[in-house]
Amino acid sequence: MTEKIIEKLTAKFPAALKDHSEFRGDTTLKIDAEQLRDVASFLESDEDAQYNLLVDIYGTDRLNLGQTPRFAVNYELYSIPKNSFIRLIVDVPDPGRNGGTDGSGRFGEPLPKVASVTDIWPTANWLERETYDLMGIEFENHPWMHRIMMPDNWVGHPLRKDYPLGGEPVYFEKDRNNPRFAHLGKQIMAGPSFETELPEEMDTNGHMVLNLGPHHPATHGVLRLATELDGEKVVRVTPELGYLHSGFEKTGENKRYEKFIPYCDRMDYVSPMNNNLAYVMAVEKLMDVDIPEHVQYVRVILAELQRIASHMIWLGTHAMDVGGTPHAAPLYCFMMRERILDIFEMVCGARMTTSYFSVGGLRWPLPGAFMDAVRAFLKEFAGYYHDYHVMLTKNPLWLSRLKGIGILKAEEAIALGITGPLLRAAGVPLDLRKVRPYCVYDQFDFEVPTSTDADSYARYTVRMEELHQSMRIIEQAIDQIKPGPYRTADRKVALPPRQEISTSMESLIHHFKLVTEGYLPPEGQVYSIGENPKGWLGFGLISDGTAKPYRLRVRGPSFVNLQATNTMARGGFISDLITIIGSIDIVLGEVDR
Amino acid sequence: MGVAVGSPQQGALGGTQAHAKDGSAGFALAKLEELVNWGRANSVWPLTFGLACCAIEQISAAASRFDIARFGSEVFRASPRQADLLIVSGRVSNKMAPVIKRIYDQMSDPKWVIAMGDCASCGGPFNNYAIVQGVDKMLPVDVYVPGCPPRPEALFYAIDKLREKIKAEEKLGVRE
Repeated sequence: MTEKIIEKLTAKFPAALKDHSEFRGDTTLKIDAEQLRDVASFLESDEDAQYNLLVDIYGTDRLNLGQTPRFAVNYELYSIPKNSFIRLIVDVPDPGRNGGTDGSGRFGEPLPKVASVTDIWPTANWLERETYDLMGIEFENHPWMHRIMMPDNWVGHPLRKDYPLGGEPVYFEKDRNNPRFAHLGKQIMAGPSFETELPEEMDTNGHMVLNLGPHHPATHGVLRLATELDGEKVVRVTPELGYLHSGFEKTGENKRYEKFIPYCDRMDYVSPMNNNLAYVMAVEKLMDVDIPEHVQYVRVILAELQRIASHMIWLGTHAMDVGGTPHAAPLYCFMMRERILDIFEMVCGARMTTSYFSVGGLRWPLPGAFMDAVRAFLKEFAGYYHDYHVMLTKNPLWLSRLKGIGILKAEEAIALGITGPLLRAAGVPLDLRKVRPYCVYDQFDFEVPTSTDADSYARYTVRMEELHQSMRIIEQAIDQIKPGPYRTADRKVALPPRQEISTSMESLIHHFKLVTEGYLPPEGQVYSIGENPKGWLGFGLISDGTAKPYRLRVRGPSFVNLQATNTMARGGFISDLITIIGSIDIVLGEVDR
Repeated sequence: MGVAVGSPQQGALGGTQAHAKDGSAGFALAKLEELVNWGRANSVWPLTFGLACCAIEQISAAASRFDIARFGSEVFRASPRQADLLIVSGRVSNKMAPVIKRIYDQMSDPKWVIAMGDCASCGGPFNNYAIVQGVDKMLPVDVYVPGCPPRPEALFYAIDKLREKIKAEEKLGVRE
């Protein structure tokens, strides 16, 4: 179907489309920067295209690739009606250089500029701000071009290739007063980072501005919400992020592909299995590896178990936020989560940071008692699942705090790039496991729960039903799973078995190469998405043929979903803001990355 | 511990029962320092404060399976004014560092700090532009907990170590 769009596009804007290519099923269109906005509105509105969901925007610094111009911006689009992905790449013209400076924007030099698409896809707002902050590309006519992750007084743009990774040596010595160590700790900013700027349209004289966070028990982490209040009514909420920014993308670009897997665990740390899955799928897509069926089933089982565990955290903390409900709810939820963590511990030795999936398969074979443990869990969980319903679903306090609160309608949600349960609660049955099945999700009989109420209660019912569907998927998967190899036979990706190394010279060479050098994917660019408990987790990889990714992009679903806070909370009461945050289900590790 | 209990009839150091059977109130003798330390060590109230992955294990530690209440630390206080213990549970970014410093300054004395996990202890796997390499660059840390993230049992061990430390404090913990 993309051929038709390319045809139409060339007919309508003959000069705009400079090039188009296909790689691993991804269609890439190179668009002229001047005509970006025309092409964007065409793709958004044309009836054959209808790319209504802007998935991601990220910049590329091609300094070390030797290409000109240096910067490019990538737009990942998805069409919900047509179920189709497309990527736009826009070369950003180099800015004029004053007096031989390096154009890095460090000393007030002009930054490269490209037109903003915020009015076409409102979700672009934060994505463009992030690109500006970390890559130093300015978007013209953006409503508030401002740093989002780094402190306001930060110098430079960390994701640029001429910006060092940073860091400092860590000495494990007892003596704190030794002058030898006086140079350490200089990374800490001198200025108070909690006094950051507020948007200009905020009425700080007529209204009260209440600062919720960055340390607040109900923000689920270190999130700051600058809330403009008229009495108890919320006029505007401005989330301020970056308090947990950890430089995942930059770190990933300095590591080999397989070494980023443990980092994924620490991103959305309540669903590490799903993160691992989304990341290894991206690398496998780049390298075009075939995965054995047994592995696919194991991945599905563990990913669905993790979905239950993640929803347990959501339910527990959400019930805690609402407060009026029995305080037992979080304890009941954490009890079931512990059972799942026990299974994970049995599988890989860790409770939370699992790193169990590796590129090409699994890290180790499953332990023998795994299936019985999962069966026992499902039996126990079914009882608890019933208890959660009894505790909450018809609880009058729960109903009055959630019903009709935090409305996010389908068209608003799509415009804001919302994915996951939030979008499904608005009535859009978009679930990647159904519309573009990965692993072996097409083998199972499960439903995509939706609701049309679009309020906090709808999000609750949708997630509760997802728990049920996850149980169904796991039940079917443990019935259908067959024994098989736990990793691919492709020796360029997965290590050969131990006994083979002592008998075959070729295996020894493969082993040596993999351990010392890593695998070398072909040059190219892929974008791969996994359906996480919180929404779409996207990984963008640009390979230059070496063992490290040239560009690693992470699209955190919480990051994009959090942008809807203002839409959902404005006009409501300040106390409802807390329940709304709970119903979005954010994890700050993923928001800030 | 050097706390002696007794009843008026039995004399100060001879008795073993605080409340004698005859209904008299009894009395206790102890060195003030030790009595205060005993009280402090058994009611270390942590701040409700979570940063990253370790915060989830911190919540698990408070949940029913591990039950931090066994150590008298189940009262998580949302206000730094009411908390004794700051558990830095996760990576500290440049943007967050001044905030943590301010929270620590707001806590009233005596106060203690546990650096939970590798990131809070030494930066962990994040040796990069964004993360401060250990919270001890700006706060005095009492106990470091290794692990990524540490299990709840490891956190309990740290709290136990901290209790030992509190019990051994001199001059009512006044630091010069």
